[in-house]
Amino acid sequence: MQNYPRRDFLKHCGIGLGVVMTSNIWLNELLANPSKTVGDTLLINYFGFSKEQLKKLLEIGLSKGGEFAEIYFEYRISSSLTMEEDIVKSASENIMLGVGTRVIKGNKFGYGYTSDLSFEKVKEAFLAAAAIADSSSGNKVANLNDKKNTKQFYSMQNPVALAPLDPKVDLVKRGHDAAKAYNPKITKVTSSIADEMQYVLIVNSDGLIISDVRPQVRFIVSATAEEGKNRNTGRGNAGGRVGLDFYKNTVTPEQIGRQAAEEAITLLSAKDAPAGEMQVVLSKDESGVMIHEAVGHPLEADGAWKKTSIMWDKLGQQVANPIVTIYDDATIKELRGTLNIDDEGVQCENVMLIEKGKLVGFLNDKLSAKILKHKENGHGRRQSYAHPPIPRMNNTILAPGEANPDDIIKSVKKGFYAITYQGGMVSGTGKFTFSVNLGYMIEDGKLTYPVKNATLIGTNIDILKEIDMVGNDMGFFLGTCGKDGQSVPVTCGTPTLRINRMTVGGIA
Amino acid sequence: MKTDYKKLAEQVVEKALKKGATEAQCSIYDGVRFSVDVREGEVEQLISAGSTSLSLKIIVDNKVSTASTSDLSLKTIDELIENSIRKTKYLSKDEYALLPELEKFDFNLDKLNLYDDTAEKVSPQKKTALAIELEKMCLANSRVKRSTGAGFSNSYGTTYLANSKGFSSSYKSSYSSLGVGLQAGDDDNLYEDGYFDSARSLNDLLPIETIADKAITRTTRMIGAKKIPTQTVPVILEPEMSTQLLLGFLVECLSGSNIYMKRSFLADKIGEKIASNNFNLIDDPLIPGARGSVPFDRDGVPGRKKIIFENGVLKSYFLDNYSARKLSLKPNGPGPTNLRLLPGEYSQDQIITSVDKGLLLCSTIGQGTVPTTGDISKGAYGIWIEKGKLTYPVSEVTISGNLADMLKNITMIGNDPNLRTAFSAPTLLISEMTISGK
Repeated sequence: MQNYPRRDFLKHCGIGLGVVMTSNIWLNELLANPSKTVGDTLLINYFGFSKEQLKKLLEIGLSKGGEFAEIYFEYRISSSLTMEEDIVKSASENIMLGVGTRVIKGNKFGYGYTSDLSFEKVKEAFLAAAAIADSSSGNKVANLNDKKNTKQFYSMQNPVALAPLDPKVDLVKRGHDAAKAYNPKITKVTSSIADEMQYVLIVNSDGLIISDVRPQVRFIVSATAEEGKNRNTGRGNAGGRVGLDFYKNTVTPEQIGRQAAEEAITLLSAKDAPAGEMQVVLSKDESGVMIHEAVGHPLEADGAWKKTSIMWDKLGQQVANPIVTIYDDATIKELRGTLNIDDEGVQCENVMLIEKGKLVGFLNDKLSAKILKHKENGHGRRQSYAHPPIPRMNNTILAPGEANPDDIIKSVKKGFYAITYQGGMVSGTGKFTFSVNLGYMIEDGKLTYPVKNATLIGTNIDILKEIDMVGNDMGFFLGTCGKDGQSVPVTCGTPTLRINRMTVGGIA
Repeated sequence: MKTDYKKLAEQVVEKALKKGATEAQCSIYDGVRFSVDVREGEVEQLISAGSTSLSLKIIVDNKVSTASTSDLSLKTIDELIENSIRKTKYLSKDEYALLPELEKFDFNLDKLNLYDDTAEKVSPQKKTALAIELEKMCLANSRVKRSTGAGFSNSYGTTYLANSKGFSSSYKSSYSSLGVGLQAGDDDNLYEDGYFDSARSLNDLLPIETIADKAITRTTRMIGAKKIPTQTVPVILEPEMSTQLLLGFLVECLSGSNIYMKRSFLADKIGEKIASNNFNLIDDPLIPGARGSVPFDRDGVPGRKKIIFENGVLKSYFLDNYSARKLSLKPNGPGPTNLRLLPGEYSQDQIITSVDKGLLLCSTIGQGTVPTTGDISKGAYGIWIEKGKLTYPVSEVTISGNLADMLKNITMIGNDPNLRTAFSAPTLLISEMTISGK
């Protein structure tokens, strides 16, 4: 019903994608040895097409005068397993197979897609996309060359999506039981693991053929605590582009379960959040959501060339306090938002956005880079083959500073300390919110009592100037980012931050 | 030759039973989608595609496994069936995991009017022209600064469902929508809003002039908005807010799974007085041609009208087959579908006039709703009311409260619901909420 251009960031969604014990028509060869496959354009035999057919299809794409044609093949196997109310309740598996076709002409593009991988159907999809252009003269397609993807930022060891069910059943049980055991007041627990393996192949009229194999996994526990009539729900989660060993060596299911239970128990004694303007300290763990909304979205380059972002004309300007440096780095190993190449086949890199308070860069997809005459920087992403690529974030990070996190809290006479979040949202005008699930009041430099559910609101250009202390620590928040009806996995990170003045929307 | 999906769904169920499932269900959606986005008078993107997907539910001795795929090759479907059956060995017995008993439709499915083929017959050029015309009309208004894009889209498709209880049915449905997003205001103090209309048939869309008018009004009325001091005041919800904020959150709190998992403040509250006296909420999936109508849910439970609140008393949750069994209640079919809060007697003007100092809430931003407790805190935009009159626009504040309190504190109900949307509710006066600002 609604289609306003708001972007949001949600902490908890994404469970419910369908696993795999599947052997399948495309992947038998790969499954035997998934670790060697990065950039292996043997990848699935070009999804059953010959190079000649691919070239022919691209030519059809350009036949009406289009300047650039592209084919995006995707095969994705995903699964989830859920334990709830003491039983391993359900398992699901999802297979996504399809191809998206895109033709660019000037500032506009046409897009078609199909889940039927016959030459005829892909041709049809290309003709639908080609309709964006309207001349009769066709442009040329360059010779197609396989490009090796040389970088590997994912863990391909023991991929969860290819693991048997036993160890996954064990994980969800341990997460569930740890939450239950944390406190007798914990009455209901949901523990689930969702994983996927995505295989993409990108072919375009510039002659590129490149592929990527992307693992993704997320473990989420949700726990509800009850005490008399008082009830609260807490959540814990961990994951990324990691393998099964992550839950042995980095974060255990028990830790995730206890995290959920602890939040639920703390919320039982939480009071209503305060209302009004005050100093706000953002804890390191999840506060990256603020950077994601206040800086990341406004710096996606489609908002720059369309002039719909409040930041479109601020390149080169001092937009934040000089202690603030923000970048988006898709190449940090194994994070949820990490990518080797983006969904247009462009190599990912670390993109500086705000350097010592000065705006120095935007996140580009191919189309935006072309229009703005910026360098391509690997931020064209799409939800699936059924969606056109648009500029998106990956891992958006505010660099650590020098302040000791304890000193930041000590510096506040009366203020609000934000710890866990439901998510955030921003409009093109730079007005943003983020929703705090659990926080604490700060009085005379000390955390006093827990408070629940408060929305913090601000305008990005104001808040960037109000960040006046940056901690020397670092935490990452895993989320799912929504924009233009497309969801993609992202990470955001911050150290502990102090915002000198911000509106806290509570009741008390 | 076109695949017979009804037959395929039935065959998949049979095959699953043969391979060892004790119960099985298969649904297939086969549809087509078109969308065009324009900005500054030119096409920006054009999407046109068809897609098909198949979902499967396998139960072996009260253990349930599900699967779905966009690859409908028989080989893949076979593998999914076998995998799903194999996976159930790892699951626990769940006594509630059963398909619902077969129920006959007591209505004529064909009379629901869920499908209309007008949009299929209209050329892409004409659809594009509609969006361009709409945007042009908006940009002609000197207070509009910029368009964030106008768009037309339509989709249609058929949903098939078959299961081992003997259910097999299908329905075809269609949607068209047309709308525009706008920005207004000064350089760094912009406001963004718009209006999208949607209907089963392209012919039933609002006239372009009306959509443009609504989009322009919603956006330009916020020009020059300012922050106000923190205070507790009466808040009036416009119909859009009554629908999106109040009903939207209420629906989450009424969902069967949140009830049995005790993640809703409404758990165990059937029969209790929750809302103010004249709060009457019904859900009716069977209104012909309505935006939210649907003949059966994903388990094949037929649609039926249900009373959710009657005179403020909670009468029913939204119960799918599983949550109904968990709560020892009867599944009540698809929901929420056409969810309607029944109108009261007051015009919006009368409600505004009754308020000495308060806020007319126009839109919100952010999450900030917690079903377990009913707590709400969201970013808010609105218009300040002083002595019964609308004065200046307000932004960069938040609005906070608790849904349980809001429902009790509804003191006036308007006569102006917008029945074009699936959820509809009139203007509501909430006697007090906290505004957090300066």
